[in-house]
Amino acid sequence: MGAWAPPLVAFGAVVLVWELVATHERFLLPTIGQVGSDLGGHLGTLLVYGGDTLAEAVPGVAISYAVAVLLAVAMDQSRLLTRAVLPLAVTLNVSPLLAIAPTLTVVLGFGHAPKIVMTAIITFFPALINALAGLRSADPRALEVFQSLSASRWETLWRLQLPASLPYLFAAARVVVPLSVVGAAIAEMVAQGSGGLGAFIEQQSANAQLGYAWAGIITLAAFGLVLTALVLVAEDKVLRWRGFKE
Amino acid sequence: MRAAASTPTGNTALSPGPSGQEARAAAAGDGPEAGLILLSKVTKRFPKMSTPALDGVDLAIRRGSFFTIVGPSGVGKSTLLRVLAGLTKPDSGQVSVFGEPPAEASRRKHLGWVPQSPALLPWRSVLDNVKLPLQLNRRAECQPRDPETILGLLGLSDAMDRLPAQLSGGMRQRVAIARAFSFAPPVLLMDEPFGALDEITREHVAHLLLDLWQAERPTVVFVTHSVTEAVVLSDQVSVMRQGKLGQPVDIALPRPRPEGIEDSEAFHELERELRALLREAFAATAR
Repeated sequence: MGAWAPPLVAFGAVVLVWELVATHERFLLPTIGQVGSDLGGHLGTLLVYGGDTLAEAVPGVAISYAVAVLLAVAMDQSRLLTRAVLPLAVTLNVSPLLAIAPTLTVVLGFGHAPKIVMTAIITFFPALINALAGLRSADPRALEVFQSLSASRWETLWRLQLPASLPYLFAAARVVVPLSVVGAAIAEMVAQGSGGLGAFIEQQSANAQLGYAWAGIITLAAFGLVLTALVLVAEDKVLRWRGFKE
Repeated sequence: MRAAASTPTGNTALSPGPSGQEARAAAAGDGPEAGLILLSKVTKRFPKMSTPALDGVDLAIRRGSFFTIVGPSGVGKSTLLRVLAGLTKPDSGQVSVFGEPPAEASRRKHLGWVPQSPALLPWRSVLDNVKLPLQLNRRAECQPRDPETILGLLGLSDAMDRLPAQLSGGMRQRVAIARAFSFAPPVLLMDEPFGALDEITREHVAHLLLDLWQAERPTVVFVTHSVTEAVVLSDQVSVMRQGKLGQPVDIALPRPRPEGIEDSEAFHELERELRALLREAFAATAR
C-alpha cells in the first residue's frame, strides 16, 4: 500500500458519507457536485475574498510572532516577568476573545485592522509558549561552555539560544499559520463591515446558499493548506541548512 | 611511585594540598602559589544527598602539568571540575586558579571547558565552532591560535566546512578539543571528554590531545574512568572516593609519549598500582 493510499481511502469515505447525507438532507449539506459547480463558477470572486482574508491573516500572524518572540526573550531573562506575564497569557488563551471582536470594530473601525488584531491575539499564545520553550532548549552543556567563557547574556542569547530555538519557532508556525487563516475568517464573521471569506461564508449560510458557503469553506481550507505547505518547505530547508536535520 | 612531598617542586601536580593560609596567599597573587591551582578544604553538599560531593578536598596542581582524576561514578569528580570552572560554588573552602578565584579566571578567559559531550553548535560549521570562544567575551585578552592550524593538528583539515551532524563521534570530540585550544587558555578542564567514544577512537584522540598539549603546555585537569587513558596522558593521577581526593600517583614515564607506550612494562606497573587504588575506591563506595 502506497503512502497516498490511507489518506485517499479516508478522503473517499468522507465523500461517500457526505453524498449520502446531502442526497437525503438537502438543507443540511449541498451535494459535492453542487459545491464543485459553485466553486468553479465563482472561483475568481472567492479568490478575491480569500485575498482579503490573507491581508488580515498574514499581518496578524506576523505581529503575533514578533511580539511573542520579543516577549519570550524578555521573559527568559527575567523570572519576575515570567511569573507576572505567564498567568495573564494563559488566561487570555482560555478566554473567548472572539466576544471582543465587536468592541475592536468600534475602536478600530470597519476595515482590516480589527481582524488583524483579532488574528494576532488568537495566534499569540502558541507562538509565545513555543518561543519560550525554544529559548530554553539550548544544550545545557553548550551553555556551560558559554558560562565558562563568561559570555554576556546578549552573546548567549544571540549566538546560542535564538539559533537553538529555530525548530521550536517552526513548530509554532506549523500551528499558528493555518490558525491565522481560520482566526481571520472567524473575526470577519463576528466583526462587521468588511469582505473576506469569513463574511462571505456567513452571508451565504444566512441566505441558505449552502453550495456557495461550502465553496467558501473549501477555498479557505485550500489557503490554509497552501500556507501550511509553505511553512513545511521553509522549515525543511532552513533546518537542513542550519544543521538541525541531516 | 606515590608523590611523597607536600612542597611543590618541578613540573608536576602535588598533594596533599595547601593550608588555608597558602590558598589565600595564592588568591592574593603574592606568593609562589600564584603558579598553582589550589584547593583548600573545599566542601560541597547537594540537597537530598546523604554524603557530600566534596568533603574537604585539598589539592595543588603545578602550572603546565597534566593532572587526572579517576574514580567510581558519583564520587564528586565532575563537581570538583565544575568548582574549578566556577560553574558550581563550593559551600566552604578556598579555590584559586593561579592566584585568582575561578570566576575571575573565567572572566579573563583563562579557563577552557571541555564537557562530557562535545556540545557543538549544530548550525555552525566545524571552523565556526572552533572560532566561537574568540567571538565571546571579547573584552578579555587572550592569545588566539589559528583555528585552521589547530584543526590541522587534530586531523580535521578536510572537515572544516562540514556541520557537526556530518561528523563521527570521534571527529566531534576533536572539534571540541580544538575549540578549547583556540584561545590558548592557561587551564583546560576536561570532564570525561572521551566517555562516549569506542576504545580505538578514544586511544587515537587521546594521543592527538597529548600532541597538542605537548605543543601548547596548558595546565590540564582531566576526569576519566579509564586508567589506561589516565596513565597515557598524565603527570599525576589521583583516585577520588566519596568526596575525597587520594594521594596522587606520579606517572614517571618519559615525554613525549608515543603511541604504543601502553605496551611497556613501566606502563603496566603504573596501571596495576592505579587499578589497586581504584578497586579500594570502588569497595569504599559500595560499603
